[in-house]
Formats: sequence, C-alpha cells, structure tokens
Amino acid sequence: MKCSDKTVLGSKSDIISTVEFNHTGELLATGDKGGRVVIFQREQESKNQLHRRGEYNVYSTFQSHEPEFDYLKSLEIEEKINKIRWLPQQNAAYFLLSTNDKTVKLWKVSERDKRPEGYNLKDEDGRIRDPATITTLRVPVLRPMDLMVEATPRRVFANAHTYHINSISVNSDYETYMSADDLRINLWNFEITNQSFNIVDIKPANMEELTEVITAAEFHPLHCNTFVYSSSKGTIRLCDMRASALCDRHTKFFEEPEDPSNRSFFSEIISSISDVKFSHSGRYIMTRDYLTVKVWDLNMENRPIETYQVHDYLRSKLCSLYENDCIFDKFECVWNGSDSVIMTGSYNNFFRMFDRNTKRDVTLEASRENSKPRAILKPRKVCVGGKRRKDEISVDSLDFSKKILHTAWHPSENIIAVAATNNLYIFQDKVN
Amino acid sequence: MEFKLEAHRIVSISLGKIYNSRVQRGGIKLHKNLLVSLVLRSARQVYLSDPCLGGPGAGGPPQPPPAQQQQHQLPGEPAPGWGDPLPRDSSMEQDPEPAGAAPEPTALPLGLGKLPLEGSPLVTAEAVPEAPRRRVEAAERGGGGGEGAPVEGPPRARHFCCRRLGCSPHGAPRADCGCRPRPDDGLPPPPVCPRKRSASGAGGGPAGCLASGGSPVKKPRRDSEEQPGDQEEMETGNVANLITIFGSSFSGLLRKSPGGGREDEDGEEEEEPQRGPEAAEPGPMYCDKPVLRNLNPWSTAIVAF
Repeated sequence: MKCSDKTVLGSKSDIISTVEFNHTGELLATGDKGGRVVIFQREQESKNQLHRRGEYNVYSTFQSHEPEFDYLKSLEIEEKINKIRWLPQQNAAYFLLSTNDKTVKLWKVSERDKRPEGYNLKDEDGRIRDPATITTLRVPVLRPMDLMVEATPRRVFANAHTYHINSISVNSDYETYMSADDLRINLWNFEITNQSFNIVDIKPANMEELTEVITAAEFHPLHCNTFVYSSSKGTIRLCDMRASALCDRHTKFFEEPEDPSNRSFFSEIISSISDVKFSHSGRYIMTRDYLTVKVWDLNMENRPIETYQVHDYLRSKLCSLYENDCIFDKFECVWNGSDSVIMTGSYNNFFRMFDRNTKRDVTLEASRENSKPRAILKPRKVCVGGKRRKDEISVDSLDFSKKILHTAWHPSENIIAVAATNNLYIFQDKVN
Repeated sequence: MEFKLEAHRIVSISLGKIYNSRVQRGGIKLHKNLLVSLVLRSARQVYLSDPCLGGPGAGGPPQPPPAQQQQHQLPGEPAPGWGDPLPRDSSMEQDPEPAGAAPEPTALPLGLGKLPLEGSPLVTAEAVPEAPRRRVEAAERGGGGGEGAPVEGPPRARHFCCRRLGCSPHGAPRADCGCRPRPDDGLPPPPVCPRKRSASGAGGGPAGCLASGGSPVKKPRRDSEEQPGDQEEMETGNVANLITIFGSSFSGLLRKSPGGGREDEDGEEEEEPQRGPEAAEPGPMYCDKPVLRNLNPWSTAIVAF
C-alpha cells in the first residue's frame, strides 16, 4: 500500500493516548493525556477535485475527563483518556464513549446551526428583562447561525472499578457495553449509570496469589453474547454470556505453548498481550504482545494461525528495554476493513503493516521530516547487524522515545491514522 | 557468574521500579508491578541457583549441599523470605524491603573481611518481608470487607534486633535499637509466624503464608532453601540484619503520608505509623542511575538508625 496525502495535526497538544474511527469513517476521534478529546471530520469530497480525497479537519474539541483525587485512598486519578469507542449513528448526533482509569462517559456530539431569537423574558444578551417593561409578546424564531459543534456528557458511569480501566467495548446490540480493568469486567446498559453487572472477576481471594491480570477485552462484532479478554500471561479467553452470569469460566482458551529456547528473565513480560481485536468478520482475533502480532482462528485454541514478527531485533535488547521501561509499552493493533491487512506500531515512529494474503510486510515511518504532503511514504528497514546499507537504520540508532502505540484504520477505505506521541498522522492510499 | 551479576542488576532495577511506582501519578499500576515482580522472581531464581559465589546450589533444589559449602552460601536463607512469595498488587511496595537486601550481596564482598560471622536470624529475614505483606493484607481486608488472609503475628517478628531490645513490633525501631550488623550473640531464632519456614514441605502452613504467585515451583524451592539449623556465615548474617533494617526503613521511605490508607486495595498505603527519619529521606531513586547510587538513600537510612 502506498501512502500519501499526509495530514499532521495537533502538534502542540498533549500526548495522544487513543485513536478511533467511527463506524462510517467520517469521524476520527483522538484522546490525549490531558483528558481532551479531539474529533476530526472528513471533508466532503468536492466536485472540483474528484481525485482528491477528503481531508480530516478538526470538528470538535472538548475536555472529557479532569484529574480527580480519591481522598479515601490518597490517590490521584489521571485524566488520561485510555480508550474511545464510537456508537453507531442512530440520529443526527454522534455518540462516543470515553474512559480514563476509573470513569466511563457517554458523550453526545451534535451540531447546532440555528438558534432561537426573540425571547420575551430575556434579551439577546441573556439578561433577564424586567417583566414590567414587556408590552408585547412575540414568538421566538430560529435563525441560522454559524455551525457550532457541541459535546455534552449524557451519561457518567463511575465508581464501578477498583483497578485501572484498560478497555471498553460496545456490544453489537448497541444497548450495552463492557468496561474492563485489571481484574474485573463489568457490563453496563447505556441507560443505567448506577448499576453494572460484573461478568468476569479474576481477583483471587488472596491477592498474594495473583498471577495474571486482564489486559484487554472486546465484544464479538456480531454475536452479542460473546466476548474475549486477554491476559498478562499471553492467553485469551472467549466467554459466552449465556453460559452463566459470571463468566469466570471460559468457553474457549487460546494459548500458544512457550518456546523454551527463547526463555529469559523477560519472557513473561514480552508474552503479556497488550491488545486484542476481533476481525470484522468475527472469525479471527488478533493479539499483540511485545514482539509479535498473532492471528488466531476462533476454532483453534492451541496455537495462532499466523504470527508476525514486528521487531524481533529487540529480542536481544530486552534488558535495556526493561531498564528504560519500554518493555512495558502497550502497542495496539488494527485490522483493515477487509481483514486482509493488519497494522501495528513500533519504535522510532515506525509502524508495520502485514498483508495476510501475500505475506508481505512493510515498515513505514511517521515523521515530518521524511514525509511531505502528498509524498509517498518510503519503506524503511532496520539493519540487524553486519553491514548497514545506505537507507537502513541500525538497531542502536532507533529512537525509543518515539513510539507508535495507537493506530486506526478506516472501516472501509485505505486511510490510516497514526499517533506519534503528540502528533497525529493521517495517510491515505494513493489514487492514480 | 555473569548470570549472577546480570540477575543482581535486574533485581536492583526492579526494586527501583517498584519504588518509583509509589510516586507515580495515578496510583500503582497493578499490571506493571505484577510484571516487575515476575522479573524479580526470575532474577532471584537465577541469582540463587548460580553456583558461583556460593549460591544454595547449582540448579536449585533437591540436593542438600555439603556442610562446607553451606558456610559460604549466600543468603538462600533470606531468599525464601524476601523473594519467595513475591506479592503483587497490594503488597507490591513491600517487595523492595526484602528484595532490598539483594543489592547488598554485591556490596558485601567488599566488606566481607570486616564482618564477623553471624549466626543471626534467618528467620528474621523471612519474617521481615512476610510481615509487611501481612500488614498490607490487613489493610486491604479492613477496607475490602473480608478479602485477604487474616493478619497474623508477623509484625512482631519484624525487627528481630529491635524485638530483643523491646522495640514495639509495629513501630519504628528505637533510637538506641542499634539495628546494625553486629556479632550475633547466639540467640536462637525467635518463634515467629507459624506459617513460616518451620513448615518444611508442609506447604508452609496456612494458605496465606505461601503468598506465592501460585507457581508450583515455589514449594520445592522454598523447601530446599530452608535450612533452619544452618550456621550463618558472614554474608548471610549481615544481609539478614540489613534486611531487617531495610525492612523497617524502606517502608518508611516509601510511605508518603501518615495514617490512613486502610482500604487501599492497590496497596499504596501501609498501616505503619509514619517515621520521622525516613520521611526526610531523599526522593525516589531512578532506575537509570547506577545501582550504588541508588543504594545511598537506603544506606543513609541505616546510618540514621
């Protein structure tokens, strides 16, 4: 896939912590460390420039979460947005869920392009008029105004999680969703904020016996009773909510036996799954651990059907990566619309795409220096040892502070959004 | 040998991370601390199984090493205590206490010649790490309404030397406690929490005692490392005492605010009362600084005692 039409947005803002297209791809939402959500909207393609795809421009910005303080535990609750998930559009307004470590919020994003004028009891500034001065009555009329996009919090789902929320996922019934923290998963109804059902609880009676935590969870895209959750031990459990109220016992258990030759101090860390995603078809799941991306067939539990090495050259550097905390980075992974290509991020602002059919892969870089608008991204290569060719970069020259953890793929087109620290890059497929 | 040094280094780094996690915004991250504790355990396993420098036996378990070798064993004895059941989550910050001893062995060779043989409490070493874990469990239980194992006796075992001098079991060692490495006067290990080491092979007493990660490896290793009757040799005794000191001072170092925190399921708070001297300790260590420099705040704490 060739990429061009690069857009870089928001370079002065906070570190982006989540990126998500909505179901049509018309909107792209980003959340950042400062608790803000920025929504971009794709321009309508103009008739004048048939071959130029719509670009994404800022549509709405709002403060979703604020820092909070839990006085009981003397804990500060970060306002960083961990995840955003869109609801499918059902009317003119857009709805999305955004969550920080503790609280999920449902936001309504709507447009206002008219406003009422001609109130009786207040004048145009909003000041209340003295009723004694009113001699006639009039009917307020709606007059056009500049388009205003407003975001209002419609629901706040709070106080249900003791541990840090890492995932939210909207059910295909569009009436419920789940939120997952390190040890528990709760099921919510959108209309009810003061209750949630706990559907998974892996907290041991004795916390000292804790061996694994939940790292990600997602509902099946089509079957409203099915969801999966991944663990820090590199396993994935598929659960059926029809089986019992508390889904502690899985229906399927996906685990690949460990390769003993790769054992090291850090084997456990690098096998921890950082993201799990169903394919659009619902037939496969994709998991990301520190060094690989794996595709699993739901019908085969004992091993993945495909394994892709993202940056295996880091395997010999695990100790350094442990020291500088990079080994704890949680990379996400995404499917393209047709489930034929998967994408995930790496370091040095590199991101990788794997074509499942041709088995070809490519490494691309998201950086201002290397790409100008409408330039074609050049594939990059990391040199592992020996002689370094001209365009290659050696492992030791990689910048580990530039990491691409969050990416998103348009649901139907070849448009990708890549978050590189505090910059958002949008790449579109080259149109000939 | 290389592995041992590497393991040692990793242990130090891990401790630093656990320590720093206390001061991170947003509270302790359970997942990360769990992973760090796993690394800590792996590193410790390697460290102890490496026969160079007299680990408890190459490859670990079953064979009882010859008595001679035992003389030169590095603290496998402290090991069951501080590393063995690496607590996660709520007791996370407790790890550095026992594991805090781990960097010491590196320092020890330097001071080996100066320190007399000490037959001091293996038990103490174990007791120390168990104790804070128990305390945190109690903290959690208090808040969580019955979750977690019941609090047991361990706090009283916390300061062995302090106990001897009558320090309060929970509180800070007395000013004249003199918790320093010193020649052991041959006192037998005090009876401590029943769940401790005497339960060789018995599964370690009540379930809560094991405080393990649930790994089946734990029991055998624990058994093999338990040598209740062993004579200490100098490193062991020294480290055991240091662990004791570390145990007390470290928790004070870690503690950010006095009182409260009983219901903290993330385990950021402890039940212990605030201690003055430690509160004045320098700020958090940084993992990327050399290990020795990292130790300085701790050494200062020891001196302060």
